Amino acid sequence: MTQFQQMMWALNTVTGVFLLALLVVRKNYRMYPAFTAYIFVNVAVATSLFFIYRLWGFSSTASWRFAWAMQAVTVCARALAVAEVCRHFLSRYTGIWALAQRLLLACAGLVLLYSGLAVRHQWALALPTADRGLELSIATVIVMLFLFARYYDLRPERTDRALAIGFCLYSCFRVLNDTISDRYLYGYARIWSLLETLAFFASLSVWSWALRKSRTETASNEELLPVGVYQSIAPQINLRLRSLNDQLSKIWKPEVTRH
Amino acid sequence: MSFTLILFSSFIVILLLVLGWAARQPQKRRRLHADPRSLEQRGQCHTNYLPQIRQALAPADYEFVSKRASREVQRRVRRERRSVVLAYLAALRGDFQSLLRMARVIAVLSPQVVAVQEFERLRLTAQFAWRYELIRWKLLMGLAPMIQLDGLSNLVSGLSVRMEAALKELGERAAAAAELASSIDRRGLDVV
Repeated sequence: MTQFQQMMWALNTVTGVFLLALLVVRKNYRMYPAFTAYIFVNVAVATSLFFIYRLWGFSSTASWRFAWAMQAVTVCARALAVAEVCRHFLSRYTGIWALAQRLLLACAGLVLLYSGLAVRHQWALALPTADRGLELSIATVIVMLFLFARYYDLRPERTDRALAIGFCLYSCFRVLNDTISDRYLYGYARIWSLLETLAFFASLSVWSWALRKSRTETASNEELLPVGVYQSIAPQINLRLRSLNDQLSKIWKPEVTRH
Repeated sequence: MSFTLILFSSFIVILLLVLGWAARQPQKRRRLHADPRSLEQRGQCHTNYLPQIRQALAPADYEFVSKRASREVQRRVRRERRSVVLAYLAALRGDFQSLLRMARVIAVLSPQVVAVQEFERLRLTAQFAWRYELIRWKLLMGLAPMIQLDGLSNLVSGLSVRMEAALKELGERAAAAAELASSIDRRGLDVV
């Protein structure tokens, strides 16, 4: 590793520790336990990798295996943190949240499948492929989450928005990084590793800024309507909309109705 | 450049574009009212002007103008007539969107949402938007028969009437629920 890379690594670790301290001091860890765990895992992994690389060397097989095992743990922690952000976005709206959960899970599954199929069974690249698939799923889930919020005109908290954007940007960068560095620019792996460190630093900065203040607990649920209201109105609206569309198609094709 | 690189890069570009659009805060935020009674005030007014629009579009009026006025005046009348219909169509779309917004508010405030109904509405909304644009362009080119706008406005106003009736009922039920909650509260029970 170059000196600059080592410096960036140290900077990321320090920023991670700062973010952890911020989470504890502002008592935001209560609101974001999974996110706090994710940051903790990141700091722990970075520290342990530092010692592993010093012990076994940066290019040794043992280091490589350890790094990928740690990567699996980190991605799982990130997935849990993203699930937490999704819950903060929508869980106040019980019905919408139930729908979103199914939709987001299905979407993540489909993207994973797509990522697996896209590489055409190249087993030598199984680990980067799995990593890329997970990162792509995370990015897609976050984009879907924002689409959901926009469609239903919901207003997520600024902190949740910033956390989600940070996750999405980092995951997008990792997908590109995995695709380019592992296949085409193997010789430039160090540059890409450095860029990844920079991308993570940017995400850490966004999160630190978002969590600089204590986040107060919001009302757990909106004032909900009785169950029957939706069940009676929604089909009527859809029926009317369908008729309206039929009418529009008649306007578009007037010859069908003329005698 | 290989297939995989193009595939994943395009996916990421699309994701980032959609994220940029979806994460952008609308300049004028609509307040999501928790009280369903407030929805009753969102009247659908534009469909009420249909008789005036029909009067403005009546062929008799146009024939009268064509006999008595110059070509320049006739052209101006035709132009203004078209702009009136376009404005009316846009207003109808506004009514339609307002009703859709109400439907979304009901979905957001419901403890149970049926996925099929939500997807159906999404599909119909997309279809409406597409057809609306086609008709608008047809009108702009002077091809669409204007009299068929009748059906369009009847549907919107019908939907409005049904929605208002349902929301009135909803308001009454919400008031009854509030009354019940406050009476339980007075008795010192914990309402969860």
